[in-house]
Amino acid sequence: MQAQRDVQSILNRRISVVTWGLVLMSVGLLLSLARFQQLNPLVAREFQIRAQANTNSVRRVPAERGVIYDRDGVPLASNIVQYEIGVSPNLVSNPERVAQELGVSLGQDEFEIYQQITNPRTPFWELIARDVSAQIGQEIADKDLLGVVINPLSRRAYPQGTLAGPLIGFVIPEDNDNTRGAMGVEGRYNAQLAGVSRDQTFSTIPLDTPQDFIENNSQRGMDLVLTMDRDIQYWVELELQRVLAEQNSPSGTIIIMNPSNGDILAMTSYPTFDPNDYANVDSSDVLRVPAILDDYEPGSTMKVLTMAAALESGTITPAWTYNDTGSIEVGGRVTRNWDRNQYGLQTATQMLVNSLNVGAVQLVQLTGYDAFYSTLNRFGIGQPTGIDLQGESEGILRIRGDSGWSEADFASNSYGQALTTTPIQMATAFAAIANDGLMYQPRLVKQIIDGDDIIEAQPTVRNRAVSSDTANTVTDMMVAVVEEGSTLAQLEGYTIAGKTGTAQIPSPLGYEEGAKSTIASFIGFLPADDPQVLIYVRIDRPDGIFGSQVAAPVFRNIAQRLVVLMGIPNDAERENLQAAGGVVNNQ
Amino acid sequence: MAQNWLQHTLNRSGWRNQPQVTGLIILGLFITLVFGGVYLTQIADYATINREISELIERRDRLERQNEEMRAEIAALQTVPRLLERAETLGFRLADADELVHLMIEGYNPNRSNVVVNTMPQEEERDIIQYEETFQGWLQQQWDTLQTQFEGFGE
Repeated sequence: MQAQRDVQSILNRRISVVTWGLVLMSVGLLLSLARFQQLNPLVAREFQIRAQANTNSVRRVPAERGVIYDRDGVPLASNIVQYEIGVSPNLVSNPERVAQELGVSLGQDEFEIYQQITNPRTPFWELIARDVSAQIGQEIADKDLLGVVINPLSRRAYPQGTLAGPLIGFVIPEDNDNTRGAMGVEGRYNAQLAGVSRDQTFSTIPLDTPQDFIENNSQRGMDLVLTMDRDIQYWVELELQRVLAEQNSPSGTIIIMNPSNGDILAMTSYPTFDPNDYANVDSSDVLRVPAILDDYEPGSTMKVLTMAAALESGTITPAWTYNDTGSIEVGGRVTRNWDRNQYGLQTATQMLVNSLNVGAVQLVQLTGYDAFYSTLNRFGIGQPTGIDLQGESEGILRIRGDSGWSEADFASNSYGQALTTTPIQMATAFAAIANDGLMYQPRLVKQIIDGDDIIEAQPTVRNRAVSSDTANTVTDMMVAVVEEGSTLAQLEGYTIAGKTGTAQIPSPLGYEEGAKSTIASFIGFLPADDPQVLIYVRIDRPDGIFGSQVAAPVFRNIAQRLVVLMGIPNDAERENLQAAGGVVNNQ
Repeated sequence: MAQNWLQHTLNRSGWRNQPQVTGLIILGLFITLVFGGVYLTQIADYATINREISELIERRDRLERQNEEMRAEIAALQTVPRLLERAETLGFRLADADELVHLMIEGYNPNRSNVVVNTMPQEEERDIIQYEETFQGWLQQQWDTLQTQFEGFGE
């Protein structure tokens, strides 16, 4: 029994020694850990990063670009998926089968794929095909081939093809699998459309699983709703192409605008391009928006602004008359009427109807330098309109003191020479007249959709160009222009206000002469007493030379289609509806 | 003989300590196994759920991509030239301005200000009762909560 007790005692002692030993070791370990915590923070962080690197991997998830819609919700730019097919050769257990399956799906040579898979120099990754269609990519994914890696690639698609191509723009790829808008709305609103790429952390222990889940739409770009109407844009493009072919003209621009809020309903130029295939355009000159870039001497359309300046300054009344002698000299430069004729006694309205340069010069001389240029300034001549597109030109408006300015320029400006404007500037200025003198900033984006939030882009009033009275008086004169002069712009049943322009093209030796040396234009709006749409037409170097012969019929053709598309009743119908207490508004 | 066997067994009483240590070790192992099992179960659950979420995300992304694809496809099928061609095939033609009939709708004003109607059911707003930070206030709060719960059962 004694021996047994001794053994028990020995064992108890040993157990306590071992226990104490373990306790001391634990304390030592804890102290070591505590000491580790006291490491230099940078060193500790480095250890932390290294530890995480063993268990985590970070992958870049590219953002999906926002969709661009027209005003009725028709997609103008959207996203499609294509796939990048690759293999990890070291994971492929049956290269023959993988090569065969991929070859069949991709329509590639099986043997070549087999060689790629078994190439010992690329054991980790080998690209087999890029930009594979969604259908084929899905077909390969469904085969569930071990070692085959299928990465979805978001691609931009423009389902309407060339329609409004320069206006919408296109995107170019960036390094980080994202894309960047290069021109048009894509370029101007790139920040909103692009969204934000995010790094997603994946834990590799115990299985390859994402640690932070990306919420739906959390990184997606915002959608845009344009003011543009797809159907109107289509008819306008069709008409432009028709007239360019008819007039053997190289280029032209048409703008359709709502004068009461600055909404651009359509804007087209020719030549144009397909944003789906922007890389294969014949010339890089096509990749631009001429409506905001191509400034030109506007010619006689400027006389409307000259008249507005004279009326606004109080220099003349609508009853003003002058004696047209056929020519006038200012600053050593002789100005003649477009047909070199003398018109004798003319009223202010007749001056516009007959588009008389001599009358415009007399008018501007009466108005005076300050009043004339301050009115042009209020109409936005020589300044960008602020339209939401990239790279707008401001045109050239030289004033006293500027290099090259002369007194003769002052006279020439009155009938649209010695200055340049862009189509959008002229359309915006005329829209101010249509809108009782109040000028809106032209705009292309109506709404920005950010997830569930819809941000309405409010129309922006730039300034009051002229008083309501002046605008109405000028409108009446423009109605007379269409009724008595530019009769080819008339549309039965509708009162139209408009003005033609036949601008000469400047050259280093003065102005071009002969055939195809003019820019024909027409700017008008309807119905004149309650303008709902403004149409700007510019045809470069037409066979027909004159705005009244070339651009006015284009205006009429477009107006004829627009009254149907926009549901604008004719004057009689509108009167009937208003008499019955109806409100006519198509905005 | 029987005596010898018993004596022999008693003489070897030292073995009694071994079962104790062994028991402790087995207990430790058992506890370790239990904790290990629980840990592994949790990890497996975690991994399974993560995998499921991952698959759901993949499925969602795939559906979104298919949506985008279809949207682009529909838009391409609804271009104006296609629609015109289809309409002409069906016997339609472009309308002229004089063919338009404008109707007056009583009480309709196109210039009305936009009225946004919230179609989501609105919860009835209830006044937030401020309870006193006293025992009586606490009691009142508990009573009200209980009452609200009972009202909830009846709905």
